Order: sequence, then C-alpha cells, then structure tokens
Amino acid sequence: MAKRSVLGLYSEEDSAADALDNLREAGFEEGDYEILTGVPYPEGTFGEAEPEHKLYRWPLIGAACGFTIALLITAGTELAYPLITGGKPILSIPAMAIIMYEGSMLGAIIFTIIGIIFESRLPRIFMGAYSEKITEGHIGVTVTTEETRTDIAETALNKAGTDGEIIRGWE
Amino acid sequence: MVNNPGDRVLEPYVETDNSVETRKAVSDGLLGIHNITSNRFWQFAALFGIMFIFGIVGFVWKLSLGFDDKSTWGYYVAVFAFLMTTSSAAPMVAIAPRIANSHWRRPISRAAEIWTLAGCLNLILYIPLIWLLPSLENGRRSLWFYGQQEGVPAYSPHIWATLAIVGLVLLGLSLLWLSTLPDFAVLRDQGEGWKKKWGGKLALGWRGTSAQWNWQHHRMGVVGAFYFMMLVFVHFFISVEFLMVHVPGWIDSLYPITHAHNALQAGVATVMLTMFFLRQFGGYKDYIGLDQFWGLGKLLLALSLLWFWFWFSSFNVFWYGGKPSEQAVLELLVKGPYLYLFITIFILVFILPWFTMIWNPVRRSVWGPAILATSVLIGTLLDRIRLYVASWDVAGRSMAKELEMKMQDVPTKIQTPGYEDIFIMVGFIAGSILIFMLATRLIPAVNLWEQKEMLLYKAEIQFHRTKVTVMGKSR
Repeated sequence: MAKRSVLGLYSEEDSAADALDNLREAGFEEGDYEILTGVPYPEGTFGEAEPEHKLYRWPLIGAACGFTIALLITAGTELAYPLITGGKPILSIPAMAIIMYEGSMLGAIIFTIIGIIFESRLPRIFMGAYSEKITEGHIGVTVTTEETRTDIAETALNKAGTDGEIIRGWE
Repeated sequence: MVNNPGDRVLEPYVETDNSVETRKAVSDGLLGIHNITSNRFWQFAALFGIMFIFGIVGFVWKLSLGFDDKSTWGYYVAVFAFLMTTSSAAPMVAIAPRIANSHWRRPISRAAEIWTLAGCLNLILYIPLIWLLPSLENGRRSLWFYGQQEGVPAYSPHIWATLAIVGLVLLGLSLLWLSTLPDFAVLRDQGEGWKKKWGGKLALGWRGTSAQWNWQHHRMGVVGAFYFMMLVFVHFFISVEFLMVHVPGWIDSLYPITHAHNALQAGVATVMLTMFFLRQFGGYKDYIGLDQFWGLGKLLLALSLLWFWFWFSSFNVFWYGGKPSEQAVLELLVKGPYLYLFITIFILVFILPWFTMIWNPVRRSVWGPAILATSVLIGTLLDRIRLYVASWDVAGRSMAKELEMKMQDVPTKIQTPGYEDIFIMVGFIAGSILIFMLATRLIPAVNLWEQKEMLLYKAEIQFHRTKVTVMGKSR
C-alpha cells in the first residue's frame, strides 16, 4: 500500500516531545515518525530513540582493503623479483611501510566517501511532508504511514498543539 | 547569615533564549549579510581576477620553457608548497576545535573550511611537478629503497605523492560539503534567485532528521580526522620528494614534521587574516569578536614558539655535528647566500609573534593578531622561497648521485626569479583568494547551523550575587 506522510510543526521542544508521546500512545512505532529540526539537538531531547549508526565500519573496511591491496602490491612485486640486495630480507617492512600506510589511508578515505553517499540516503527526490519553516527554527514531527492511518497520526499531532495546519505529503 | 535554607531568596535561572523567533533571527541576520555583495567586493574580485590571469600566463610561459633546467623551477615549487602550507592547512582551524568542542570556533569554522576549495588550484599547480620530479633512476637517495629492493618502480614518488594530494583535496571537498549541507537546505528554503536554486541542488533533499544530524556529526569527525592524517602525510611527501632528496647530505628525520608544523602555523595565520577581513569588511562584526581572535591568538603564539623548537632541533644537530656535509647544508640553507633572508624569516615567524603575542592586550585585540598573522604569512612565503629555491638550484647541478654536497658546490648567490615566476607567485596566491571570495557568494562565510546550535548551549544564570554565562557541552 502506498505510504503517506504528515507533518506537524511546533514552536516549543516540549510540544514536539508531547507529540511523540501521543504517537506512541496511538500505536506508532519508532521508525514511523521522525523529528525534523534546523539545529542538531542532543540525541534524546524529544524522547526519541538515539539513532544507530554504522559509520565506523566504512573507514575500517576501507582501511583493511587498502592495507591488503598495498601489501599485495609490495609483497607481490618483491616476490616476483626475489633478489637479495645488501643482505636485506626479500620482504623488508621499511620498504613496504609507506605504501601500506598510504594504501590504508586511501582505502579508508574512498570507503568513507562512498559511505557518506550511501548512508546519507541522499539525494532524496521526494521530500514528503516538509515545510520551509523547519530551517527557520520550527520543530517538525513527521509520520510516515499507510493512508488509512494518517487521520490517527494527525489527531495525535494536533493533540500536542501544532503551530499551524498539518502538512501532508507523498513518500 | 541564613540559618534556615527555606529563607533563602532563590533567584530564577535566566534561561537561554532558544525560541523560534531567535533561531529565525539568527538565520535572517546571517542570510541578510550573506545576500549583500558590495561594489568593493567586486572591485577586489576583479583585481584578484586580473592577477590570476597573469598567473595563468606565467603558468603557460613556465611550461613552454620546459623542464630541462631544474634550477629555474625553485620559485614555482615554492609557491606550490606555500599554498599547500596555507590554504590546505587552514581547515585544521575548523577540525581541531570542533573535535575539542570549543564554542569560540563556531563563527570561523566555515571560513576555515572554504579554504579547502583552493586545494583544487593547488592540484592544477601540482600537475607539472610530476614531470619536473626526476625518476629514481637519476641515482638520488630516497625513501623508496630503489636499487636496494627489487620491484620498486622508478616513478614511486610520482605515483604515491599524486594519490596523497588527490586524496587530501577529495577529503577537503567532502568536509566542506558535509559542513555546508544544512546551510544549503537553508538557502533552498529561505534563499532567493540563483542561491536558492543551487542551494536546492546541493542540499540533495536534506530535511534535518535526527538520523541525518547524527550521521553528519559523526561523518564530519571521521573526515576531519582523516584530513589531519592526510595533511601530515602530504607534507611529508612534499618536504621529502620536492625538497630534501635534492640536496645530498640533507638527512634530517625531523624536517618532514617541521614542514607539517609550519603548515599548522600558517593555516592558523590564514584563518586569522580571513576572519579579520570578514569582520572588518564582510559585515560579520557582530559574529566574529574578540573571543575568536583571543582563541586563535593563543594557538598562533604556541605554534610560533614551536617553530623555534623545530628549527633549533634540526639546526643544533647539523651545527654540533659539524661534518663537512652538514656544514655544507647549513651553508646552503642558513649561513650562505640566504643568510639575510633567513634572518628576516626568523624575525617574521618567530621573534615578532613571540614578543608581541605574549601580551594579553595584543592577543585580545582585533588588529594585533591580524598584523602578526600577516607577518607569519610573509615569513612563511619567504621561508618556502629560501628552502625550495636553494634545493632546486642544487637539483639543477646534477649532484643527485653524490652522497654529500661539498662546500665548494654550494651556490654562492640566490637564483633570480624570472618574470614568469613572479607572475605565478602573485597570480596563484591571488587565485586562491579569488576562489575563496567567489565561494562565499554561494556558501555562507559564517556557519548558520552552528550559530543556531550555540543557542542551545548558552545560558546566563544567577550565581550567588552575580550572573554568569554558562556554556553547555555539546555532543
């Protein structure tokens, strides 16, 4: 079933927090609603669940890949020409260290940038229920749900004292 | 004396004014300044534009002269190193205090980050250096174990230095975009004309959900940390591959980090001067105040003192060691033809900042730190000229295979810059400033969302018989 979104705007933080309480009481779950703000509030300000992130996996995986590739490049070339020079071992760490460090860095950087693009869920083509008042300073509570439940969501949002009309949007 | 606690007159907390109206007022105020482009701005932009055209002429002229005579390329490499030392290091002023949760950096962090755009110009300037840098086959001693370890490509420095510099530029652009994303959304929603259009395109549908803010906060931390690591690594490459290896006998394990330190000092000076101009001429007087000059002034003082420590640590080893090769290196870089230049540099980047910035009235002023920042930047440019012109002068004398430079091999006079060198130096420095200026027409020079975030963490409370400002710790 197609989903719709509704948005209530609030001037006060407590009203937005009340709206989340009302939504939970009305049977909506975390993930059905989101807080929209123009400022990064501390996590949990509105009683919402702290967002989980897997941000550190990207650079770590990237660094591991980069390190492995660098190790293969250096060790591979050295083993391909196994000549002992100056009494040094064929696989000499000092000769490999710079490339392995840079390989790890580049892998981490490339994966971080890919992670930024992938995890941001951007670009978002359809904005859904949104208001320009959010970047002005209002706090938005948006609910994304089946069309049949939008009335329940609107009632819950209105009960907390919205600042203006409820805004509806497509997802 | 109050014996019964109930008799105390309890003063109410004076809460922070974090209302919708205040948040809107902050946005409107900053957007109002951002939307005004004065005639003076365009006059200076035109001036820097003309200078940049001269720079491009010099660039083409220099390329047409070829790469055979390496001794004439010192000034070109010096200006590249200077830009990498200043514009590429400036974002550290945003990264380090943000990680440390310092509030004073809020009005200046964006200005520091915009300098990452000048990294694109540095990349253009770097391209000819790939052809200029000789392959390892010329016999110079390097970090690459060429000739000692089988399988090392002769163009290792070219490959890895290029990747490192490209990585730094990409990280810089990512950092700037991440930081500006919420402000692009403000431009999309509240902006006008072409700024609204581009804000919409670059905001990519940012809505400001808790997850997006969380994601942006952590990503900026990760990218910032990588930027710092890569900056140090790039300076390691520049100082080794484009400087030290061309002077036989210049063996100094400390110098690469000295080069990186110089970048931090010059980066702070660059941001100091930028915020001075934004305050005095950009209309941001109400946002950039003494706190910012004081905070950054302390950093500049500390980094200027460190300049001496780094320089003396290297100098002492060479001077005390006194081997013929070490004496020749000192003759080249300090005591010989560059002596007066070195004394000037010593005064500009160490003596002047030290003896003036130790005084609180100078540090806690607007003009004092700005003048000292100018002194540090001029000194750093001269320092880059001293080191790179001297080294490439030696590189042009085909001494790469020598284990050490002899005293009679030390050049006796400073290479004179050609007209094309002067064009490049003036033009590309002007080009960096031009890129910064033009970028501020789209990107707000003072961070909107960080200024609004400040409202959440600042409150004035009653403390016994007085009122004090309490700054909360953000995430």
